[in-house]
Amino acid sequence: MVPKTAAELNYGLSLPHRKMEDWRWTDLRQLVDKPYPPRQTVAAAAKDVERLLKSSPFAKVAGARIVFVNGHYSAEHSQLKNDDVTSDVKLDEPVITMNAAFATDGACLKISGTADTPIELLFLATNADARTIATRNVIEIEKGAAATLIETHLGEGSYLSNSVTEIRVGEGARLDRIKVELESADAIHLSHAHATLGKNSVFNDFTLTSGAKTNRQNGTVEFKGQGTEAKVSGAFMLGGKQHADTRLVIDHQVPHCTSRELFKCVMDDNARGIFQGKVIVRKDAQKTDGKQSSHALLLSETAEFDAKPELEIFADDVVCGHGATSGDLNHDHLFYLMSRGIPPAEAKSLLIAAFVGEAFDLIAHEGIKEALVKFSNKWLSQHRRVA
Amino acid sequence: MLEIKNLHVKLADEDRVILNGLTLSVKAGEVHAIMGPNGSGKSTLSYVLSGREGYEVTEGSVTYKGEDLLAMTPSDRAAKGVFLAFQYPIEIPGVATMQFLKVALNSQRKARGEKEMTTPDFMRYVKERAAKLNIGPEMLKRPVNVGFSGGEKKRAEILQMAVLEPSLCVLDETDSGLDIDALRVVADGVNGLRSPDRAMIVITHYQRLLDYIVPDHVHVLSKGRIVKSGGKYLALELEAKGYAEFESEAA
Repeated sequence: MVPKTAAELNYGLSLPHRKMEDWRWTDLRQLVDKPYPPRQTVAAAAKDVERLLKSSPFAKVAGARIVFVNGHYSAEHSQLKNDDVTSDVKLDEPVITMNAAFATDGACLKISGTADTPIELLFLATNADARTIATRNVIEIEKGAAATLIETHLGEGSYLSNSVTEIRVGEGARLDRIKVELESADAIHLSHAHATLGKNSVFNDFTLTSGAKTNRQNGTVEFKGQGTEAKVSGAFMLGGKQHADTRLVIDHQVPHCTSRELFKCVMDDNARGIFQGKVIVRKDAQKTDGKQSSHALLLSETAEFDAKPELEIFADDVVCGHGATSGDLNHDHLFYLMSRGIPPAEAKSLLIAAFVGEAFDLIAHEGIKEALVKFSNKWLSQHRRVA
Repeated sequence: MLEIKNLHVKLADEDRVILNGLTLSVKAGEVHAIMGPNGSGKSTLSYVLSGREGYEVTEGSVTYKGEDLLAMTPSDRAAKGVFLAFQYPIEIPGVATMQFLKVALNSQRKARGEKEMTTPDFMRYVKERAAKLNIGPEMLKRPVNVGFSGGEKKRAEILQMAVLEPSLCVLDETDSGLDIDALRVVADGVNGLRSPDRAMIVITHYQRLLDYIVPDHVHVLSKGRIVKSGGKYLALELEAKGYAEFESEAA
């Protein structure tokens, strides 16, 4: 028997570790470095909440907000009412198990008709003693409905944030979901998003990962009805000793569906990024069109990227593919820009922005895309390196 | 404007010597053609002048407007007016041509201590110049050189030259890959930029380009040095006789 870690003893449950295939790069027994006691009630000072609210890149884009402060719905800061959560995700995943044990609250959103402006779910953590903050969310887009949903995670201080979101996209419905992980530099972020997609629906999902010292995000997408299209994309912008591990499972269960995954990962300093993407095409899922790619840009010699693409195909009439690349900036591109008078640091920023921009371009909402470009330019100005 | 003296250049990571005592003097207002067989060092000269990595100067000097050109970074050279029109323009995905031109021009202006150009002024400025090269707004929105035809790439290079208004233009095999109509458009663009305070070095394998861009001086480059210089008629002579004479002479 391996002795339990301090966090495991505190939680009363086991954490995933490197001997489990899906967790080989992200050993939570080591990375959850101290007990983060769950279910703590932490009062937040009004000025701290205001500051965090203002720091969302989407402060000017979102039409209405649902705000959670330290794991609890805040009526004061929200423009939308929150219903009770009934989530029935039954996946045997450590993040979900932890969430089921510790979740204190969560967003419950049912959309019928067309929501004109983006709705932002904001999860804030204020600076206090280290603790676990867990929320469970349910998003349901009803038959024929459409919405753009932003999910922003922000915080200060040391905490572990566990967020599980169940997404149901109904027949003919459309959901554009943009998740932005900008947790505190001393935080751990663990999440699972589970989406089930109905007939002829569209699911366009994008995740920007740039916060937290340790990040593990799982995504599972199940195609339940034919003629459905899912794009799952994202960008990493990491520096320092940040660690981010994204694992996606795209499950084609029915015929005539399309899936696209594109991840663009920028890593500086000693950052480490991991992309594990699995596409399953079940026996009945003929005419599936599934493509997956991950590309990493390593800005320092000590940054690292690991990619693990997997295809499990049981149908015989499908088009599927995957690709993964990793490298530093292209020297010919740099020289061409510099030969036109663009100094090295600006030339690099321009190329990095172009690299992640390809993922931002998959976001349909112009205002959100602009907010992300602005965020990325700010990140670049803080991480700009001159060779 | 440009004084190249006894320039010796080798590849940085192998021992191969490419330029072997090249001397050339270019004054403002002049157009010099450099002709030579493949492998004579023509493209290396263009890269050494623009500061591309991978080359090592072992001997000699390059003075530009009285300053040591070789000591400057590529972007400083550009800001001081050195421009290379690439033989194979580089494709840069994700960077729109218009944005690229604006960042380039304003970086140069900033480096020279001039005021940056505002967006509306800049748009007008570029569109005027683009129209002369048959470059429409659609092409300016596309990423730099991505998916451009051979002719479009060369016209885009000349547009950059027209926008950046350099003092010393180095054109590396600008005629390669162009049909006769595209060649005419490109040559007209280049000729429109000829001026008493601008010098040009036109590097070419074939005489054809020089029918359109008529040089003041023609030099033959062989095995890394200039082996013969003359007026524009030297180009015609080369066209008739080929380079065989110089290759054997130098060998």
